Amino acid sequence: MAARVLQQCVRSLARPSLRLFPVNLALRAAVAPAVTVHRPFSFAADSRRMRWLGQSRISSVELLCRQYGDLPPLTLETIKDRVMYVLKLYDKVNPEKIQATSHFMKDLGLDSLDQVEIIMAMEDEFGFEIPDAEAEKLMTPEEIVQYIADKKDVYE
Amino acid sequence: MSSRLPPAALSLKQFLQRQKVLAVYRNMFRTIRQVPDEADRKYLRDWAREEFKRNKNATNQDVIRMMISQASNHLEELQKSLALAKS
Repeated sequence: MAARVLQQCVRSLARPSLRLFPVNLALRAAVAPAVTVHRPFSFAADSRRMRWLGQSRISSVELLCRQYGDLPPLTLETIKDRVMYVLKLYDKVNPEKIQATSHFMKDLGLDSLDQVEIIMAMEDEFGFEIPDAEAEKLMTPEEIVQYIADKKDVYE
Repeated sequence: MSSRLPPAALSLKQFLQRQKVLAVYRNMFRTIRQVPDEADRKYLRDWAREEFKRNKNATNQDVIRMMISQASNHLEELQKSLALAKS
């Protein structure tokens, strides 16, 4: 119960005090996730600080939040754009003739070695490996987009 | 019973060989990816492409088998040099 009160104190403390008490970060980091150990000494120190802060009334927009790095989310549109972009960069295809449904071998006149290279370029672009058995079945840009959307769980 | 397969279909051995060739090609490119220098990478890629394209029209199975083992040897050498360079 004291742990819960401590958590609430820290949360209300954290909002205005993100900049004022950098030393307090260790305490906040320790308390913000689940608290199992409560330290009565720090609790007393906290309530003292809270009372002091209550008088100063500093408003701050910052919330206690963690920042993570991640790529922008994939959508079918972005996947399709990236696939077409990579295809247009490939030196053996004519950029004007490529459509979403153009077959590599029948429409674009490429052979299986070129198809392997194209799939490897897609692997480089999207950052994950495509196994051999599935790679040799991908014969149009549309199929590639479907496969990547499948693997990356992109629904629309 | 007449065969219902189209005339251009490959026999099983030919099909398997084709898969082996494509697998070696793919592994070659995957290994080339690990080479540190971009100019070297481009040179190796062009070399691999040239070699494979030059022999694209071989039909004799033994010749193809020999070329596959040659390519695998090249690939192993490349992998060994990369491992040495990294250590």
